[in-house]
Amino acid sequence: MALANQMPNFMFVYFSELQGVSVVDSDNKPQGVLYDIIIEPLGKYARSRTLIVEAGGFRKSWAPVDWSGISEITKGLIRLNLAASDLKFSRSVNNRSDLSLRQDILDQQVVDTNNQNVIRVNDIQFLQAKQDLVVAHVDIGMRGIVRRLGFEKFIDPLVRIFNKNSEYLNKPSFIPWKHIQPLSINPVSKTIKVDVSQNQLREIPAADLSEIMQDLAPQDRLALFKVLDLHTKSQLFATLDFKEQKSLLEDLSEKEAVEILNNIPKDEAADFLGELPEGTVNKILGLMESKSAKMLSKLLGYSEESAGGLMTTEYIAVPDTATIEQALKIVREKTLKAETIQNIFIVDKENHLVGSTMLRRLIIANPPDEVIKAALKKTVKIHVEDDVKRIALLMDKYKMNALPVVDASDILLGIITMDDIFSRLVAIAWRRAKRKIQL
Amino acid sequence: MLNTKTKSILKKIQIFISVMGPGIITANVDNDAGGITTYSMAGAHFGYALLWSFIPIIFVLIVIQEMASRMAVVTGKGLADLIREEMGVKVTFYAMVVLILANIGNVMAEFAGIAASADLFGINRPVLIVLSALFVWWLVVKGNYKSVEKVFLVACIFYVSYIISGFITRPDWSEVARETVRPTLQLDKVYLVMLIGLIGTTIAPWMQFYQQASVVEKGIKLKDYAYHRLDVIIGAFIVNIVAFFIVVVCASTLFKHGVMVETAKDAALALKPLAGDYCYMLFAFGLFNASLFAASILPLSTAYSVCEGMGWELGVNKHFREAPQFYSLYTGIIILGAVFILIPNISLVKIMFFSQVANGLLLPFVLILMLRLVNNKRLMGEFVNSRVYNMVAWLTVVLMIALSLALLFFIWVPG
Repeated sequence: MALANQMPNFMFVYFSELQGVSVVDSDNKPQGVLYDIIIEPLGKYARSRTLIVEAGGFRKSWAPVDWSGISEITKGLIRLNLAASDLKFSRSVNNRSDLSLRQDILDQQVVDTNNQNVIRVNDIQFLQAKQDLVVAHVDIGMRGIVRRLGFEKFIDPLVRIFNKNSEYLNKPSFIPWKHIQPLSINPVSKTIKVDVSQNQLREIPAADLSEIMQDLAPQDRLALFKVLDLHTKSQLFATLDFKEQKSLLEDLSEKEAVEILNNIPKDEAADFLGELPEGTVNKILGLMESKSAKMLSKLLGYSEESAGGLMTTEYIAVPDTATIEQALKIVREKTLKAETIQNIFIVDKENHLVGSTMLRRLIIANPPDEVIKAALKKTVKIHVEDDVKRIALLMDKYKMNALPVVDASDILLGIITMDDIFSRLVAIAWRRAKRKIQL
Repeated sequence: MLNTKTKSILKKIQIFISVMGPGIITANVDNDAGGITTYSMAGAHFGYALLWSFIPIIFVLIVIQEMASRMAVVTGKGLADLIREEMGVKVTFYAMVVLILANIGNVMAEFAGIAASADLFGINRPVLIVLSALFVWWLVVKGNYKSVEKVFLVACIFYVSYIISGFITRPDWSEVARETVRPTLQLDKVYLVMLIGLIGTTIAPWMQFYQQASVVEKGIKLKDYAYHRLDVIIGAFIVNIVAFFIVVVCASTLFKHGVMVETAKDAALALKPLAGDYCYMLFAFGLFNASLFAASILPLSTAYSVCEGMGWELGVNKHFREAPQFYSLYTGIIILGAVFILIPNISLVKIMFFSQVANGLLLPFVLILMLRLVNNKRLMGEFVNSRVYNMVAWLTVVLMIALSLALLFFIWVPG
């Protein structure tokens, strides 16, 4: 008895060890076996809330039992403090909007938000304190599979003979529950069941999220996409290739689709629309905000490899009549939308490019002065018809991260930033390298 | 100006072409070394007596392939994926063991086909086997498969030579027609083995995994599903028409002259009326293409399914260190298949044939899993099987098990 007192009052137990354990009622009569557990996410952990008992041989039925109805839970037996009549058996497992271990976690794919990849759950580990079960880890390792198959008794000693220090025995592949984002889809909202209190998804950069999504089935991908905020959605959309973008937009409602197109940088939107048939483009433009649509239809008119096709219309321009102070105010207002705030362009009433300046220069200049005083000595500009090579040469020569694009009469149409050019250059270089390899 | 009706027909054809592929490709891979051998033997040894089986086979093939495609389109997941998520580790593990064993047999059959065509070409057997194994491995690992796939598909035009031969050899068409619609069942060991082999090679377990995976990969959407179904049906007809003509040609040439197919040379003789003394070359070419095509697909498809089901990293764009199980499986299956065929004096025809019988014996188990999944309302919603579908599929399961048991009975009770 003394020994029993020294036992720690909590221990680890696997879901696979509890599945199929027989359940007895308050009169010690067997009522069935443990089939499933419904959990309730609570911050970093998830607590077991409902037990699902399975009964019957050929015609099976299931009954939910609230956790307060359990008086003892071990690997050998589960004892309820309920009478047999308190168990409501029915022919269907009805827990569709809850988080069920069997339907939503075990054997399913989930996102590990820490390592940012998609994993398959082989087993679930609980921390047990008396009859309370708290989900602590999910097991994604080989040992989890072996345990589920019931081969642990043979495989473990075998491995021990060959290599006592093997990773299999000593390094369990556990992922803490707090990093797990289930992918199960809520049948009503068609989005994934997220735990709002610890929205880990938000922490993952869009580029990584996009890689995670590559590993998912289209339905899961869509459900995951829908729970993201508009900003992340737009960023993520921009990382996809055309085929994926098209497939995604087809699955979204018109409203959602247009919302995203309104929100991504104009040059990206134009790239996407440029691939679509004309009829579809006109339809989409008709649905978009009129200002965005107007710019887009202009961008769409230029060849894809020319400055016009590459430029974006999200730049900061200030009138040549403004003072430094007024110019800084405009910069502040437009900061959120603009592709870059380092380069600021000075235009006249007809939008002719008069000069260009840098944010740095504005900040150190005298606020009441005219803005033109802060302008760079030479206004480097690109013509809409210029090609990638020329733009790259100019950027390199003048060490500028963004250059203005003008038409024949010097009217400012947009800007081209280094990252737009860079991705094109990489593509060209890559094509060349590939050709060399093939030779 | 096009009127709106032709426009909408053109549009429909355009959609069909865009979703076309998985069904027709699977069908052409289905006519692999094991297939050609089994059909040749069926015609050479039994004449027209097995022709009737093609009518039920074509029905069942369409039903089963359609089920796999529907699951792919509705769930967006592979078959192994679904088995794991709905039935747990244990069922998945044993299903994967079955799939690996069956497919090692199939890959052996493909390498046997390569060896047999080496004999016909007059090339050293081990050289062609090793070169082919290396080629297959390189093709997939280096990601060049897609560009070669079209070459394989075009080379499948070889099967037309059986259809032409079917007319040149002037079979008794009225007898052919009679045997096609009149089911005859002979209750003896040899006939049952042949029947199981015939079904097993046409409706192989691996096809369901492969078909479902390629539909998922193609990203076919529910709204285009009707077009994709046409793809499946056309594919099923291609397989069966080719198979039908192989049986007819072999029956009207080999069977008539009492030639038993014991080597690939015997099977090639069926094309003599068409190609004269070139028949060996023609047959060797067709067999080689079919074997290499299937050998490129089977090991990869197996490795994908197993890793998907067990939750291991997979994909040819990963490094060995990232996806060790995937590469071990893929490479291991190719090596096992090739090395076994390097054993001198091994009977190639027997390997090609009995691997297909194994397919037939294992088919019902894969079918049961598929039926349980496709009828799961939570997964499939309104797209669960209709009653007719379930009847056809369950009947197939019961009949295949009955045939297998009958075969066991005749093996144990001789005479």
